[in-house]
Formats: sequence, structure tokens, C-alpha cells
Amino acid sequence: MTKVLTIAWKDLRSTARNMPALVMMLVAPLALASLLGFAFGGGSGFDIAAIKVAVADLDTGAGAGRNAGADVRDILTSKDLKDVLATSVKSSAAAARKAVDDGDAAVAVIIPQGFSATVYGADPAATSQVELYRNPTSQIGGSIVEGIVGQVLANFDGARAAAAGAVAVGPQDGASPAQLAASAAQAYSRSGGMWSGLEVSERAPRAGKSEKDVSVTGQILAGMMVFFMFFGAANVARTILTEDRQGTMPRLFTTPTRRGTIIGGKFVAVFATITAQAVVLLIAGRLIFGIQWGRLDSVVLLTLVAAGVAGSLALLIIAFAKTPAQAGAIGSGIYLVLALLGGNFTGTAQSSGIFATVQRLTPNGWLIQGWDTTLRGGGAGDIRWQVLVPLGFAVAFFFFAVLRMRRRFA
Amino acid sequence: MSIVEVKELRKQYDPPKGVLAVDGVSFDIEQGEIFSLLGPNGAGKSTTISMLSCLLKPSGGDAVIGGHSVVSDSQAVKETIGVVPQDIALYPDMSARENLVFWGRMYGLSGDALKKRVDEVLELITLVDRQKDRIEKFSGGMKRRVNIGVALLHKPKVLYLDEPTVGIDPQSRRSILDGILALREQGMTILYTTHYMAEAQELSDRIAIVDHGKMIALGTHEELVKIVGEGARVTARVDHYLEAMAERWREVQGVQKVDIEEDEAILLTDDPNEVLPRLFEAAAAAGSRITEINVTEPNLEMVFLHLTGRALRD
Repeated sequence: MTKVLTIAWKDLRSTARNMPALVMMLVAPLALASLLGFAFGGGSGFDIAAIKVAVADLDTGAGAGRNAGADVRDILTSKDLKDVLATSVKSSAAAARKAVDDGDAAVAVIIPQGFSATVYGADPAATSQVELYRNPTSQIGGSIVEGIVGQVLANFDGARAAAAGAVAVGPQDGASPAQLAASAAQAYSRSGGMWSGLEVSERAPRAGKSEKDVSVTGQILAGMMVFFMFFGAANVARTILTEDRQGTMPRLFTTPTRRGTIIGGKFVAVFATITAQAVVLLIAGRLIFGIQWGRLDSVVLLTLVAAGVAGSLALLIIAFAKTPAQAGAIGSGIYLVLALLGGNFTGTAQSSGIFATVQRLTPNGWLIQGWDTTLRGGGAGDIRWQVLVPLGFAVAFFFFAVLRMRRRFA
Repeated sequence: MSIVEVKELRKQYDPPKGVLAVDGVSFDIEQGEIFSLLGPNGAGKSTTISMLSCLLKPSGGDAVIGGHSVVSDSQAVKETIGVVPQDIALYPDMSARENLVFWGRMYGLSGDALKKRVDEVLELITLVDRQKDRIEKFSGGMKRRVNIGVALLHKPKVLYLDEPTVGIDPQSRRSILDGILALREQGMTILYTTHYMAEAQELSDRIAIVDHGKMIALGTHEELVKIVGEGARVTARVDHYLEAMAERWREVQGVQKVDIEEDEAILLTDDPNEVLPRLFEAAAAAGSRITEINVTEPNLEMVFLHLTGRALRD
């Protein structure tokens, strides 16, 4: 263990003396996050695709073919709105809320049981609430869905009032249609807004979290941090190839130090370096941009797992590369593709369809999701999959890296 | 007592068609001996050292170092040996002391023992004053000295030196050679590889000449030069009467042959120390004065040429 720490300490000291590497690891992500944060104006979320909506229709209709819930559902799934809304129909309220919790939808619209009875009933005091369960980070998307659903409900209320007005004035012999309409409108206005029992009620995944403002800069810096952790890890891991070329690696193998100890020391150095990098970026993000990163347990877990993924992936790339330059070129390509697929530059809140699926094929995609949840106040329990899946990636990467290196340095 | 026993060591890269770098090399090294592997570049010297350092797995044969097999007990072998690689294998962004401390820990030293040993090695390589300077600021000779110092930290029983004087100035070279001789005085066993004939001749108790992966000759310097079957060569110039002098020198006891080439006489003898005074006496008796005289002993270059038909430097 002493030798592992000795090797790690030696590498850490070398990294600390490498000014270009430090700039790349610390200054670049902060600068990029600043630029992107200012570009998007900071403060609220931004939409890049159709808003993902999950609809649960619990209404069973009011008989005689009257089903207001189905009407709302049909509007939300209509072709006219397909560019704005990507709506999926869920079988229960729990399933719709889960879609939001899992990041599969930005908003859940839950149409209550008895909705049609309220719409088509004659009781002006009857009320019915359509629930909007929304991801707090999707402020614009949530507002759009709220506006659409609110407009539909207002139309139903208007229809209820008109019907009630017509009933109130009763049959009038010889009255013209215009006179009948005027009488109904007068009766509706005298009702004093009694016919406004259809409401939109809002809920968020956890009490209080809907009020939390998740800054764009926070989301972007989280993405940049994960992205640059990959580069930081690669930079330190490349010392294996550098040492191989400068002869210190073969010389290490002539000392009574086991291969596993040497590789372990290298990994510890990589892990410690990028963990330190992440800590510096987290503190800088808090002090410079005022980012509230979230609960400490989640932040620590995500940081350590991200360091594990970045470190093990860097080792895997190094294990197959022949020269430091080759490792740099291959690594940069892989990291860029992973960043594009995983959403390091775009975040996750509004990702949809195939993009969401692809995002989950990358370890950084899961980490970005984890950071989104953490930024809006989620705890360790809320990000268990966003931690476990990347951890699985890290273990797999490390296993194959060690396997390859054992063969290479045999 | 042999501390190194090499038996039919063999290394083929990418078998079965790859290069056969070492082809059945066998030798023993006695405790406290300086043993040199002499041969041109590509002869297989470094590959042999790499196998004896447990860096390369032999394709065949084995070597036992201090009682431990390089094939089956590499960890114990690594504790027994110190390796000075051909190229400088140090961390350039670390100071000499930091390098020595790091490598000392890799050899299992720690605490006061490590500090004390680092101080001793810095004294030994005469870099106490520069111990805090980074390696990247050192001259080639100073780097070489640290490179050797690293291998001495754990006081190995056997020290491998793979061409440690390549590319350095004569002063540093002299310092390194003196250091190696001093280590031998302390009882250390040394395996030395070089393509410099003079170094092998000066340092070695025994020399193995290798070429194309095979050992073509083994023995002391004296034993090896006898392979050539030729005595020392004396070339002499006189102020006048060269042909008459040549006639007189042919009659001097110990002179085997005298030829004249242009303005100098070339004599062959088995014992130049005995013959030289007689040559001066004969010249004086004939009224001539020797203006220039050179003695060339048979050397390893001639041995290599004799055995392979090629010069060592080729």
C-alpha cells in the first residue's frame, strides 16, 4: 500500500507542476461554463425539443358518449401539437408521475376520476382538478403545458356556463336565436363566475422543490465538469505511456514492485487528481456563480463515481494506445462523442425519444441526469441508478484496462 | 562460487518466425567479479540483461541469480539485483534527491534507513551539492551518475550496467569507470555490457564476446587475445640507416619478424617489455637514434575481427 501511495504521490506532484495541464483541468471548464451560462441568460431552463408529457386519464366518462377526459387527452396527443408536445399515455397517475421522476417526461397531466361528471353535470358548485406534476427544472415546458391544459379547461367551463344560461332562461316562444343567446349570456354573467370549477393544480416531485431555481450555469458547469474530468484523467493516465517511453516504467518493473501495485498507484493518482479537480470546480461554481449544488451526500457520490469512470476509462484508452500522442487523439475523440451523446453540452431536462435512450448508454449521460436531480435537491436515494450504472461502467473499464495492461507489461 | 548462472538462455520475439535475439547463451559469474558482455549494437546484450532483470520472459533456458530463478522466482531476483538501464530512466521534473527517495521506496526502503542511504548514495555519486536541483537541469554525465545511484540504493548483490557510458564526456566516463572499480573493491558482483573494447578490457575480470545473439568467445582478456595467435606489434622510426637497423633488429632475441613499410620498421614480438630495451641498445650500437616507437598489444578488436571477419564497430 505504501508503494501505491508513493507512486500516486509522485504523479500528483508532477501534475501539480504541469501548468498547462492545470489550466486545461480547471480554467477551461469554468470559462466555458461562464460563456455558455451568459449565452443562455442564466436563471431558468431552456427547451431544445418537444416537451415530453405523460397523460393519465382516470376519467370514465359521463355516459351517452360524453367523455371530457378523453377530449383533453386527445387534444394533448393531437397532431396539431406534435411539434410542441411529445405526449405518452400512461395507465395510472403513479405511472405518469414516475415518468417525471425518472426523467422520461417533463410534465405529467393527470385527469381525475369524475372529470366528465363535473363538466357535464348541472351543479355549478362541483369542482374537478386536473393535476400537473412537473419537473421543476422545466419551467418553460411546464408553463406551456399548463397554458394548453388551462385553455382546454376554460373552454369546458365556458360550455358549462353557456349550457346553464340556456337552461336558466328556459324556452321562449318566438324568440330569435340572437335573443336566446343574449338571455343565456345575461344569465351566465349573473351567476358571478360560479361556473369555473375546472382547475389546474400543480405538483412537483417533492414538496418545496418546485420553487427551487436551477440555474443554467449550474447545469452547464456540471456537464463541463464531467467532460473535463475525462480530459483531466486522460492527462494524468498518459504518464504511463510517457514513463514507458522515458524508461522509468520498465525500470519500475525491475524493482521488487508488483505490476498491480504500479497500475494501482497510477489509478490512485488519476482518481485523486480528478477528484481534486471536481472539488475545485464545485467550490468555484459556488463562489463565482452562486450555484447551489444540492445535498452533500449526492454531490460526494456523483463526484467520486465520475472520478472513477473518468479514471478507469482513461486507463482503458492508455492500455490500448501506443504513444501519448495516440492516446491523446483517441481519447479526445471518445470523450467528445460521449459528451455529445451523453448530454454534457445540453443537459437532460428536455431530452426526448432516441436521444434519451442513447444518453443512457453512456456513463456521463447517467451522471448528467444525476447532477440534474441533485441540482434540484435530490438526495442519494434519488440518484441511486445515476450512481450505480456509471459505477458499473467504471468497474468494467477498470477490469479490461488491467487485463490489457497485464498482458502489455508482462 | 557462482552468484549468476545462465543456462542456455534464449529469446525469440514473435515466435516462430520472429527475430532470435539471444540464442542459447550460457555463462557463470563469480561473486565479486566484473563480467562484461562485449559486442556490437544488436548483438543481444540488452536483451540478455532484460531477461536477467525479469523484464523479458525467456523463450528458453533459465538463469539463477543469487539462488533464484528468473523464470519462477522473479520477485526474489529483483530484490537481489540493481539495474542501470542504457537510457537515463529518471523523472526529469524531480530533483536528484526526490528521485533517489522515490526509487528507494520502490526497493522497499523507508524512514531513517532510506534517508541515510540516500545521503550515502549522493556522496558516492558526488552530487550532494546538486541534490535539490531537478534532473532536467543536469548534464549528461550527472544524469548518468544519478542513474547508477538509483540502482545502488538497496545495496544489491549483483549490479547490471547496460552501456552506462554511452554519450558522455571523457571526464564523466572516467568517473563512472572508477566508481565501478570501487564497487568491485567492496565485493559487488557486476555484469557490464558495452561495445567499447577499451572499457571491457580495463574493467573486466572476464569477458564474453557476443554477436548475433550467440556467445562466440569467453575468457579473461589474456585468454581472448591468444585466440588471435599474434604477438605485440612494435613500429619504430630512426633518424637514418633504417634498412641496416632492420637487419640488426632481426637478430635481437625475442623479435619474431621485422618488415619495413615506407619510413618505419614493423616488428612482431611476444614480449615487448623485454624487447624494447634491446632495440634501443642495438640502435645505439649502430649509431642510429630511435625517433618514434609505438607498441600495439593484440586487443579485443582484433579478436572480434578474427572470430567474425568484421570490425567490432561495424
